[in-house]
Amino acid sequence: MTQYHANRREDRRKRFLARRAGGLALSLGMLPLLGGCITVKAPDKPIEINLNVKVQQEVVVRLQKDAQDLIKNNPELFPQ
Amino acid sequence: MTRRTSFFALPLGLIALGLVSVPAALAQSGAVASAMTAGTVGEQADGYLGLAGSVGADVRSEVEAINIKRRAAYTDLAAKRGVTVADVAAATGCQTLANRVKAGQVYRIGTGAWQTKGAAPIALPSYCATAN
Repeated sequence: MTQYHANRREDRRKRFLARRAGGLALSLGMLPLLGGCITVKAPDKPIEINLNVKVQQEVVVRLQKDAQDLIKNNPELFPQ
Repeated sequence: MTRRTSFFALPLGLIALGLVSVPAALAQSGAVASAMTAGTVGEQADGYLGLAGSVGADVRSEVEAINIKRRAAYTDLAAKRGVTVADVAAATGCQTLANRVKAGQVYRIGTGAWQTKGAAPIALPSYCATAN
């Protein structure tokens, strides 16, 4: 084996090690990123927005004065 | 003064109409009020009176009669405002729980258990919002 061959083989080995080290560094560098990933899972139930409660609340609030008058005007229906 | 006038005017008006006799009217409303004091009849958040304990037949029939008349009044108002009878009844329930149930009397929200009002105001259902 000539000196030339020996040098070439040594070069190849160095390059291989450097590549492996680089790959490892890259993998290690990405670990925190992976840890920060947010997992979004699709809900197993359909998303339902209930507007009825809000509507009923508005109606009931609007009727408070009427209800007060109704009680005042019908005392026999509201014994205490 | 107005209070005294209406107190006498109502029974007199009913007698004039031949609807009811004075002793019966007084006895009945008094019986329900007594039952409310005793905790056997109470207001419900749905706007009606309910039976919280065992009561006599007279109290039971008077509670039923009051609830029928309440429903009639709620139905009238609902038609005027273009809302459901249940909405008017619920709004009235907010009022009775907020302003009329006295400490020591019982009340019920939804299908929950009967509770006795303490010194603090009743925790109203969320839909009552600002019932004062």
